Amino acid sequence: MRFNFIAGLALAMLPAFVTPASAADKVNVGVLRFVSSGGLFLAQERGYFKDAGLDVNFKYFQAAQPIAVAIASGDLDFGATAITAGTYNLAGKGVLKIIASQGAERKGYDGTTVLASNTAFQRGVTGFDKLAGTSVAVTQVGSSQHYMFGQIAEAEHLDLAKNNIKPLQGIASMVAAIKTSQVDVTLLPPQFAQPLVKSGDAHYLGLFSQIADYQYGALFGSVKMVANNKDLVKRFVTAYQHGCSDYAKAFLQKDASGKPVVNDDTKAAAALIAKYVFTSLPPDVATDKIIHSAVFVDASGKINLADIERQIQWYKSLKLVNPDVDAKAFVDQEFTK
Amino acid sequence: MADLKPVTLRVAPILGEPVLAAAPARQSVPFRGGGFAPRRLRFVPLVTFLLVLALWWVVTHYGWVSDLSLPKPGEVFAALVAMVKDGSLAVNFMASIRRLALGWALGASFGVVIGLTIGLFSLARSSALPLVSALFPIPKIALLPLFVLWLGIGEVSKVATIAFGVFSPMVIATFGGVDNVDRGLIRMAQSFGVPRWTILTRIILPGALPALLSGARISTSIAIILLTAAEMIGAQHGLGAMVLAAGNLMQTDQLLAGVVVLSGLGFTLSQIIGWAERRFLHWR
Amino acid sequence: MDLMAQSITHAYGGMVILQDVSLHVESGQIMAVLGPSGCGKSTLLRILGGLEKPDSGGVFTTGVAEAATLNPLTYVFQDFALVPWLSVYGNIELALRHHGLSRADRDARIEGVLTRVNLREFAKALPKQLSGGMRQRAAIARALAVSPAILLMDEPLSALDAQTRALLMEDLKALWQQSGFSAVYVTHNLSEAVQLGHKIAVLSRRPGRLRELVSIDMPLAARRDDSPELLAIRDHIWHLIRDEAAMADREMVQNG
Repeated sequence: MRFNFIAGLALAMLPAFVTPASAADKVNVGVLRFVSSGGLFLAQERGYFKDAGLDVNFKYFQAAQPIAVAIASGDLDFGATAITAGTYNLAGKGVLKIIASQGAERKGYDGTTVLASNTAFQRGVTGFDKLAGTSVAVTQVGSSQHYMFGQIAEAEHLDLAKNNIKPLQGIASMVAAIKTSQVDVTLLPPQFAQPLVKSGDAHYLGLFSQIADYQYGALFGSVKMVANNKDLVKRFVTAYQHGCSDYAKAFLQKDASGKPVVNDDTKAAAALIAKYVFTSLPPDVATDKIIHSAVFVDASGKINLADIERQIQWYKSLKLVNPDVDAKAFVDQEFTK
Repeated sequence: MADLKPVTLRVAPILGEPVLAAAPARQSVPFRGGGFAPRRLRFVPLVTFLLVLALWWVVTHYGWVSDLSLPKPGEVFAALVAMVKDGSLAVNFMASIRRLALGWALGASFGVVIGLTIGLFSLARSSALPLVSALFPIPKIALLPLFVLWLGIGEVSKVATIAFGVFSPMVIATFGGVDNVDRGLIRMAQSFGVPRWTILTRIILPGALPALLSGARISTSIAIILLTAAEMIGAQHGLGAMVLAAGNLMQTDQLLAGVVVLSGLGFTLSQIIGWAERRFLHWR
Repeated sequence: MDLMAQSITHAYGGMVILQDVSLHVESGQIMAVLGPSGCGKSTLLRILGGLEKPDSGGVFTTGVAEAATLNPLTYVFQDFALVPWLSVYGNIELALRHHGLSRADRDARIEGVLTRVNLREFAKALPKQLSGGMRQRAAIARALAVSPAILLMDEPLSALDAQTRALLMEDLKALWQQSGFSAVYVTHNLSEAVQLGHKIAVLSRRPGRLRELVSIDMPLAARRDDSPELLAIRDHIWHLIRDEAAMADREMVQNG
């Protein structure tokens, strides 16, 4: 009788022990509220993470750098954001890994737009070949705009040292500076560039993707996670790839005339992403904005290692990345195979 | 009263001191004074500095604090040497010194003039003082976008940011100093028929000088703090821009090297003001 | 030059300090103004020299000052009012510089007055380096440098210790012997008043009114603390003021 009682108690308690083990693995993921993280948002909304046994908790950030730092410090398990010279230096110290791709510049798709101010345009800054000696607004030294301008300069055989690179810390001040002609040139995401061109506040010089492909965003993982929990990372990346492939299907298809296809699938995906990106807009407006500002994301989620190496090489030449940084040490392509 | 025994004095043969006959056991009076009078101890500043350095070295050398969180002192020193060698430190230093000097001089001279008018005239006190008090707590960094809109992204907005930050503390120091000038001295000068301008230059200004110098001490530090903010916008060169870029690039050794230069600059300026205090306030 | 105050009445924030005070300071004489604390003596002195405006009544001078006089009505303050960042020389020069004297003239004046107060070798000293007595002598030198017609002295000895006070009293007498200046000497010290005053204006406690004007004919040089005439005058004045002094004292305590 007594024996049975204890056995019964043990049986009653059993589920309490079992449940946590079978529950989803909790992971914290740092993101910016940008369309480029659409793959993550779709994977979350469509339950790909849940199906992989993951309980994904997004943490929202205002800038790219803090996400990388938070992964390095162990506060985040994963993060998706732009790669800057600072990120490479951090990765070079062996504190974070690049495990998949995110946003990219790709020929034929909308992306970072090069603008000239009105006065500069009148002065003759009318194309990429006329950029010699101009002043250029970027967010920060070693940012993606800095790199892209450097690539343009290289392609056009200009001396970058003669350009006045002006770090303005944020997109808003870059917009203000180009509007008021305080700088000659700037590089902006399409959703900021298009209104300026439409209103006549600045002149369109071209898309960066005319010059080269550029892998500017990546999915990062903490070193601890990648080393000790390969299974979890694999599940996370696979679910993310599923999201990226949905994203590509929805936004990156083109019709015979080369125009992006907008169908029900596009709208459905845009509505889901809009909830994350434009939290304060009415859903239909937000959905529309998503469709018009969708950027290129590789459907496979695979990282372009050669491009990463090219970027590091360029940053090293300007002493913006430490000489001992090696891409192979922190780019892990194993999970996107 | 009546039963009080008369005290007999006897001369102690050796010491020649009067000693109370049949005195009870002596108890020395405990010392209760002292303290509250800090002095300058000569080698303590250096020793303190070396101790901090040693602590830094120990915690980084033995890996108690990770390289990511805090680079080793040697690395910071190496970064500093590299910046000196490639000439970038000189370029950044000169760019910043120009902005600091211009911004501080502008802000301080406007501040002193406004502070004097507030100190001397009722109308100015009632109108300008509340305005200055309202301006003081404004975070100048928050106004940076406005400065950029008004004054552009060139040198003007950077100098203005520093000047604006220096202005309010100098106003407050100046009018406080003027308020503290002994009214008796002013009445004395008036009683001798000394002209107003001479009273201003020979009584009020020198009398406010202690407050002006301590205002300068605070405002130079504020200027250095604001330098980094000022150089956030479109600065290619400058210590603040260098520190910001190093932070963005996660080059923590260069970041700290820049911080060392900035705090060294602050320390030097404070020493100069200390010298000026000893030189000009010797009458205190 | 004579100095006259006519029916001075003055109040601070509704509290009457001086009521209908009239005085006549004759050339070459010292008028001691004696009264308990808070009777408005210092206010009266400020009004006499034009540092304060009375609510009613007026202050006049008659006659002209000597040609050498730069500042006819000149103060000597209780706290000396020496500018701490100026040397003894600088303090005196401050009082002279706007009179357009030649440098030689100025220096001669400064040297002259410093000699008179025995501070010649301290011309370069800062006030903080001087003793209390020396500071007041420097302040007196500054006052003398402008060759005043009338000195307005506001308790000039009360910030000093007893010995210094006695010494400086001798100095003041000697100075008067030399130059025979006119002065208003405000004090709460009966002994000082009878030592220096040709006339003693005794004020009542607040509101200050002129109680009595006592004349002492004895020459300053002959006055000694123990001379019977002076003792009689002291006694007389003491009886006038003692009750008031006691009341003023209680009043101060109550107000404090």
